[in-house]
Amino acid sequence: MSITRRQFATWALATALIAPVAFNMSSAQAKDKYTIGFSQVTTVEPWRVQFNKDLEAEAKKHANVELLVADGQDKTEKQVADVENFIRQEVDAILISPKESAGLTGVVEKAMDAGIPVIVLDRNVDTEKYTQWIGGDNVVIGEAAGKYAVERLGGKGKAKGTVVEVWGGLGTQASHDRSNGFHKYTDAEPGIKYLLDKQSGDWKQDQAYNIMATALRNHEDITMVYGHNDPMAYGAYLAAKDAGREKDILFLGVDGLPNEGVQWVNKGELAATFLYPTPGAEGLRQALKVLAGEKVEKKIVLGTETITKENAPAILKANGL
Amino acid sequence: MTDPGERAMSSSNTMEWLKGVVKATKLYWGLALLFAVGVLSSPVSSKGHNIFLSFGNLSDVFRQISVTGITAVGMTLVILIAGIDLSVGSVLALGSVVCAMLLTNEGWSSAYLLGVPAVFLLAFFVVLGTMSFALRVQRRAVHAEAAPGMSKVALVVALVAALLIALRVASNSGSKAGVLLVLLVVPAVGLMLGAINGVVIVGGRLQPFIVTLAMMVAGLGVARLTAGQNTAVWPVYTGSNATEDFEALRSLIFGIIPVPGVIFAGIIVLFWIILKFTKFGRYIYAIGGNEEAARLAGVPVWRVKITVYAISGYLAALAGILYVAQYRQGKPDAGMGLELDAIAAVVIGGTSLMGGRGSMIGTLVGVLIFGFLSNILQLNNIDSNTQLVLKGIIIIVAVLLQERRSSGWMFFLSQLKVRNAPDRSVTSQQTETHRHGE
Repeated sequence: MSITRRQFATWALATALIAPVAFNMSSAQAKDKYTIGFSQVTTVEPWRVQFNKDLEAEAKKHANVELLVADGQDKTEKQVADVENFIRQEVDAILISPKESAGLTGVVEKAMDAGIPVIVLDRNVDTEKYTQWIGGDNVVIGEAAGKYAVERLGGKGKAKGTVVEVWGGLGTQASHDRSNGFHKYTDAEPGIKYLLDKQSGDWKQDQAYNIMATALRNHEDITMVYGHNDPMAYGAYLAAKDAGREKDILFLGVDGLPNEGVQWVNKGELAATFLYPTPGAEGLRQALKVLAGEKVEKKIVLGTETITKENAPAILKANGL
Repeated sequence: MTDPGERAMSSSNTMEWLKGVVKATKLYWGLALLFAVGVLSSPVSSKGHNIFLSFGNLSDVFRQISVTGITAVGMTLVILIAGIDLSVGSVLALGSVVCAMLLTNEGWSSAYLLGVPAVFLLAFFVVLGTMSFALRVQRRAVHAEAAPGMSKVALVVALVAALLIALRVASNSGSKAGVLLVLLVVPAVGLMLGAINGVVIVGGRLQPFIVTLAMMVAGLGVARLTAGQNTAVWPVYTGSNATEDFEALRSLIFGIIPVPGVIFAGIIVLFWIILKFTKFGRYIYAIGGNEEAARLAGVPVWRVKITVYAISGYLAALAGILYVAQYRQGKPDAGMGLELDAIAAVVIGGTSLMGGRGSMIGTLVGVLIFGFLSNILQLNNIDSNTQLVLKGIIIIVAVLLQERRSSGWMFFLSQLKVRNAPDRSVTSQQTETHRHGE
């Protein structure tokens, strides 16, 4: 009889585990309530966390919105399946922040064909078949950083200095855009020299630390570091600090998340960071406009903001930090 | 409590029969249970039908499992010979990159650099294999001894034929590849990498774990080098930057049956037949059961092993083509973590990691369990962190349900009994010994 008992135990365990799933039935939708599906590519990156926070905070302000969030776990396949699920669930609108353009294009078209409005956030898809795109412009951010860099290194026409640029990834458009915008201003200055040739820190603090540690060894004179995101700028700062040279170098980052870049700027560790705004809140507001039958613009570009020691405390305060 | 022997005798025949049925159908329980949960928990659409059971949803799932599924078929063979293949994710990624480049590039590219030698290799072995098979059949028919020069002739013919085919492929590099060329070249690249795995494992007498781990790392590097540093993703848009016929691999038959799913089903059936009814299939089980015994019994162990790893690579790269078709892109990080999904699906399907035991049907069940599980969790909008935990737990439960030997579990329970009541268990253990003595 032990076999039966064993099987019983296994079954009991299985039932206990699956029961919570089974009884989590979604209630039928009321007409005056909107179900909005949000497919996020990943939820472990700090910028994405802020993105989700902004979106969820906005959703709470509207009593008639039920927000479904799906995490793509950084995989194209998973994110495509997530959106397909939203289509099957017949949600009223889909917000999607794609992992990459090509991979998610097909499923966005599929949703539009099913009559569901799709608002694409951050990275765009390779089709015109979407309701609206909202995102920041990395070129604009790079330009803001470049302008600021020229100003800090002596002003237009007189700027002088050696710059270490830590790339996010050579394969990502965001990194190229942030670099191109920056160089638009700094390349016009004959006094500015660049030390490294496209070194990628893969957006990570530890890799940027290593790149900077080597750069510090090779170069006696470094006046500025431009990291394509704040953690990399901070990693470079830590490397300089360990070498005792952090006071001679200006560190510039991008993203301006309250808990990261803004804090570091506030402490004087980074000279400045440039806000890469999350399209979360705006995305939901626009989705509700679409559902209310209003006509919306095809594209909305969110602006940037230069965050320095002057305005950092106010931003921290606004975010309850 | 009476002793186990007596209890077994007192149980009725119906009970025994029931047990037999339970044992025979055990494989399907987990899947059936999961399906039932899916139906019961599914949200209902505005038109009042069950979303989980809708054709559209089942069609989605069927398509979603195809890539992992095809890889899992190759993985089943590898695990059956007590091996493991960690490189399938990288091979898939490389396959997707080569496929996307062939489809969208005009002119010679790094994809051809890999593809042409791979096709040469594939053609060489296919021609050689076919010829030696034909020769053997003919020899058997006329009861003749092997002619001494024949094998050399076959070798030369195979070399020439392979060279011609490879040149034909290379000459095509001027224009964008069509679907047939891609289906020939890309899996050949996977076959080449898989064969390298096999040769190193057999030739170097190394652990498959470490060899395929090395291939996983190196393969990712090759995929990135092939793709080029500044283009992580190769987008493929049929009709604009690639030929229209590639669309066939994405389409739906009768608007409902996804082609990738059909290809997966075809491959499952093919390898089910191979495992069940061919000599090669029996060799695989023999090697997994006891490699030394198989060798002594005259099984060409190293040849079978290399072939199995080559097949695994072939199927992984083939899955890469379907990846490109479904996601309109090839990229070096396409198959991240795929090897673990494939291994999990195979093991859930009741194939033993120790080799020698398992089946293709089991793998199908395992892949379906995986597919339905993701689908159900998402349809119910379970929080993604909870999803990961539930997935982990359900994998364990599924494996427990599938476990064929109950002895381990029973031993564990008997140990618990020993702690609670030492006297009684000693008696029962003694009775056990007596019974064995009889």
